[in-house]
Amino acid sequence: MELANKKISGTKIKRNLLPYYYLVPAFLIMGVITFYPLIYQVIISFTNFETKHLLLGLNSPELKFVGLKNYIDIFTGALPVENFNFFRVLEFNFWWALSNVFLHVPAGVLIAVMLNTEGLWLKKLYRALYILPVVVPPIVVATVWRNIFDEQYGAMNQLLTSISILFGHLDPVHLRWLTEYKPPIPGFLPGAPLTLAYYAMMIANFWLGWPLMSVIATGALQSIPKDLYEAAAIDGATGFQQFRNITIPLLTPAMMPAAVYGFTITFNLFGLVFFMTGGGPARSTELLVTFAYNLVRNLRWFGVAAAFAVIIFFVALVVLLITNRITRATQSYSEA
Amino acid sequence: MASVTFQNVEKKFGDLTIIKSLNINVEDKEFLVLVGPSGCGKTTALRLLAGLEEITSGEIKIGERTVNDVAPKDRDIAMVFQSYALYPHLSVYDNMAFGLKLRKTPKEDIKRRVNEAADILGIQELLQRKPRQLSGGQRQRVAVGRAIVREPKVFLFDEPLSNLDAKLRVQMRAEISKLHQRLKTTFIYVTHDQTEAMTMATRIAVINKGNLQQLDTPQNLYDHPNNLFVAGFIGSPAMNFFPSKIVKNGDKIYVDSGDFKVQIPNDLAGPYKGMDGKNVIFGIRPENIHDPEFAPSNIYGEKVTAKVDVTELMGNETLLYLVSGKNVFVGRVDPRSHLRVGHETDVIFDMGKFHIFDATTEEAVR
Repeated sequence: MELANKKISGTKIKRNLLPYYYLVPAFLIMGVITFYPLIYQVIISFTNFETKHLLLGLNSPELKFVGLKNYIDIFTGALPVENFNFFRVLEFNFWWALSNVFLHVPAGVLIAVMLNTEGLWLKKLYRALYILPVVVPPIVVATVWRNIFDEQYGAMNQLLTSISILFGHLDPVHLRWLTEYKPPIPGFLPGAPLTLAYYAMMIANFWLGWPLMSVIATGALQSIPKDLYEAAAIDGATGFQQFRNITIPLLTPAMMPAAVYGFTITFNLFGLVFFMTGGGPARSTELLVTFAYNLVRNLRWFGVAAAFAVIIFFVALVVLLITNRITRATQSYSEA
Repeated sequence: MASVTFQNVEKKFGDLTIIKSLNINVEDKEFLVLVGPSGCGKTTALRLLAGLEEITSGEIKIGERTVNDVAPKDRDIAMVFQSYALYPHLSVYDNMAFGLKLRKTPKEDIKRRVNEAADILGIQELLQRKPRQLSGGQRQRVAVGRAIVREPKVFLFDEPLSNLDAKLRVQMRAEISKLHQRLKTTFIYVTHDQTEAMTMATRIAVINKGNLQQLDTPQNLYDHPNNLFVAGFIGSPAMNFFPSKIVKNGDKIYVDSGDFKVQIPNDLAGPYKGMDGKNVIFGIRPENIHDPEFAPSNIYGEKVTAKVDVTELMGNETLLYLVSGKNVFVGRVDPRSHLRVGHETDVIFDMGKFHIFDATTEEAVR
């Protein structure tokens, strides 16, 4: 009897192990390309790792464990980098992501509602056109917009010049979009000056950001049953009241995760920022990710950069936990 | 409380005519049911009345007021949708209060009216729930409640029971009838289910292909259908039809279907005397076909030989599917009947209750 039991439990264990065998190849690959670098990075964040240690890595004889020094240096601004203040960058980074999403979502929804009008001509063409910015490579977008905001030859200053001529001002406009350090609205964001470059980036990123929101809103709009609007019309709701009482609340379950997604994307928007302003002028448009990259590319401080990346990880984790909470709170109304 | 009038109302979608010159006069406090097969235009008629569609020509009046160009919200109507159309993000209370809030009704008033309606419908304990937490029957009640609190002149129902299961449907049918008696308001109710129409209506409008076929009380529709369509649509199982000829033999008038020949009783034969040789459609309802063993003695019985094809025992009655030559028909006979599948037998047609329709115009001849 006992023997039989053992046999059964033996095959049971074997059967239970089978799924894990299937997982082994994936774990091996992820171990090499994901977990190894991750752990390696955490380790070197506690060292003075620099270019000269690249050859021997952790076995380099002069590699020193410096404890939390890298972290403390970052937080206290003790790094010998000009214009660097971690908390200012962090604040700017949050503001940057928030202010973008607050523009993109309403704009996307409004345009989707307008394009959803019955009987509108060429509806499909518009919908195809406005998704184009999403598929253009970021470096192309950044280059085009950097040229638009060029002080001498940029389209933006020319446009402003021709507008100001209409109002009788004949001098050409020479806004130093990407290089002027003095913020146009001083004290708008206490602690982190918002330079003209920030506004230029907002404009460029608006062009990039609203179409995706519009696509999502269009899909959600079409899933709102028509008879809800009819019931509201009979109940006495005007067009605007229908928009406020039906469209907005029923779009929220779709737009909330989209906004959260938009926030995380914008929070780490490396491509546009790096290629358009490079974080300048004077690091005023620096994001956490662009600064971390600068630490490696220009200064070759791998240890500090690794510590910086670990900090970014925790910041992102907090963002993720908060946004997850928001998303779950606004789950679809039809789900039980 | 108001009457409703459709005057020569026509509705076209592009080239497609959905309603052709509809004339209906609904009296105050009436329960009118619009009934007809899918796509006949009955829902469109209701939506025209609600103002959700614009009429192509004609006139719709609520009370004395022409409402052709009046917005839905100003027509003083309330509508219960087939899908219920409850606002999914609002609680039951807010669903019912929505219309009143938009009309800036005082808060205490809203509260009183919502609570009253909830009492009538027995949904007091659901007021704080969201629609997704309700069963189909409960959602249905909330949709009705949303209409009640508005205290409209006319209630419109668009197939409100078609998403409920059979048992609940019967129950809600009775409740809506009760509600009508209680509120004493005009109800206009659209359905494709003739049983619903028969059980609830004070009058029924039968619509087919955008045309009003007949507008009458349920009993009159059943007993005296104007044409072949109404005869076939009202009643379940449907009336049996036999393409036939009127044959005169001496002073007796017969209906000859080719497979059987039955005599029309002399005192009912008047309208058919001059129709010798004419093609007609002879109609008789299943309950007027009897098993000879249990046929009442006081009827104008005529024997028809047929073979039993299928029997359906319902308990309180038995349905016989009978074949006579090329004709297939249904008899609804006494449950004690001994007739079984395969039996060749004579069944009794009650010739006091027959219908004759012109074969070409399909209009009743009487």
